[in-house]
Amino acid sequence: MSEELAFLAATALAIVRALPITLVLSLSSAIGASMLAAVLVAAQQTRIGRPLAHVWIFVFRGTPLLLQMFMVYYGVAALGPIRHGVLWPLFRDPLFCAWLALTCCCSAYIAEVLRAALAAVPTGQIEAAKACGMGRGTRVRRVIMPQMLRLALPAYGNELVMLIKSTSLASTITVVDVTGVAQLVIAHSYRTIEVFCLAAAVYLALTAGLTALLRRIERGLAQ
Amino acid sequence: MTETVLRVRGITKSFGARAVLRGIDLDAHRGDVIAILGGSGSGKSTFLRCLNLLELPDAGTIEIAGAAAPLVHDTQGRARIADPRALNDLRAKTAMVFQNFNLWTHMTVLDNIVAAPVHVHGVPRAEAADRAQALLEKVGMAGFAAHWPRQLSGGQQQRVAIARALATDPDLMLFDEPTSALDPERVREVLDLMRALADEGRTMLIVTHEMAFARDVSTRVVHVRDGVIESMGPPALMFGADASPVFRAFLSH
Ligand SMILES: Nc1ncnc2c1ncn2[C@@H]1O[C@H](COP(=O)(O)OP(=O)(O)OP(=O)(O)O)[C@@H](O)[C@H]1O
Ligand SMILES: [Mg+2]
Repeated sequence: MSEELAFLAATALAIVRALPITLVLSLSSAIGASMLAAVLVAAQQTRIGRPLAHVWIFVFRGTPLLLQMFMVYYGVAALGPIRHGVLWPLFRDPLFCAWLALTCCCSAYIAEVLRAALAAVPTGQIEAAKACGMGRGTRVRRVIMPQMLRLALPAYGNELVMLIKSTSLASTITVVDVTGVAQLVIAHSYRTIEVFCLAAAVYLALTAGLTALLRRIERGLAQ
Repeated sequence: MTETVLRVRGITKSFGARAVLRGIDLDAHRGDVIAILGGSGSGKSTFLRCLNLLELPDAGTIEIAGAAAPLVHDTQGRARIADPRALNDLRAKTAMVFQNFNLWTHMTVLDNIVAAPVHVHGVPRAEAADRAQALLEKVGMAGFAAHWPRQLSGGQQQRVAIARALATDPDLMLFDEPTSALDPERVREVLDLMRALADEGRTMLIVTHEMAFARDVSTRVVHVRDGVIESMGPPALMFGADASPVFRAFLSH
């Protein structure tokens, strides 16, 4: 019994040590994907950008994230110009490859969320801004963006929760995140259930924390 | 002769094959209160929205307090505004009060009122806030500065919207059925406020179905029918026995 407890404690410690990797990957992908999504939605408002954004979203939303990670980590690395170019230190790093795949994939989903929110901003709100002489930039900053973010928040929160869980796929390209550590421990100990449960608990804590935070922001915005 | 604030010539507008405005000329002098009357679908809202270019006319010229945003036409004859800067300058001289208020829901009452002075006219925020407080008092909404639009009744929202419109001291105020979305008992408070604005010499164009208000407050009544001005004149004339038969028929049904 005490041996069991000691095993659980050691496993928990190992998993918590890997937590920063999962956190960094989640946070950096969330930032990257959100910024890229904003660019995509801005591009959608222009004649040249619309088809490009459309293709981007079509491809990254329509293919599995796991394959995207494999392609970035194994596929791109096989390309001569990358392998022998200045970017090689980046593409050699599995964490960077996981970040890139997550950013591209999630940007497509978040762009869809933002696009829907933009379409849902009531015309009257925008017309009131036009009517008093606000230029396009002022309108976007003072009226359209705040309205849009408020409308997007619930669905955007969902995407972030999905993103956190998706970071676990990074373990398949050798990133030693929470899931990666769990797999290593299992490989040595052959104990599956308790290790996966511990790892799952970590993701649960992360997503629960995020959900609570988003709920508070939502309430603050609702007034 | 008083200053001409609005000068409109030859406004036309079609939606697809449907000609909604078929050539409208109108002048307004400072202090004019023009009531625009007409049946549903006659083009009143479209006309009003063409004046601040929320709707782009197909042709015609609009001059407001010396500002104009000329139209140019491409090879297919489609109109567009040549200079977006001129468009915003023209709009900045006007203010619009909407049927559905359209207060910005993500801003407090105070922020709604200071937004245009601060972000369009570059007035320092503190100065704009002081003026906003005075305007709130004027529209009977003192003490509501920190409220959110959704916490207010329709009549209160419309009075705040009027304060927002006054905040930039506009040369021309456009009202599109400002009381049509209100409960009957709230209509009075908004009409009284508009009457006060008329008395202080504001130049206003008001699309309305409130005939008594048009008769008692306006300096001129304009009857729009099928996208043209069918007749116009001072209310005493328009509501008298010598008005055009078409307008009398409109009034009597
Ligand atoms: N954006 C639009 N697209 C197509 N048709 C439009 C549009 N806006 C207005 N119309 C049409 O133009 C005509 C005039 O509309 P408008 O709103 O100007 O009438 P109105 O005089 O304000 O009527 P009401 O008293 O009902 O408000 C109507 O037939 C309407 O259906
Ligand atoms: Mg109308």
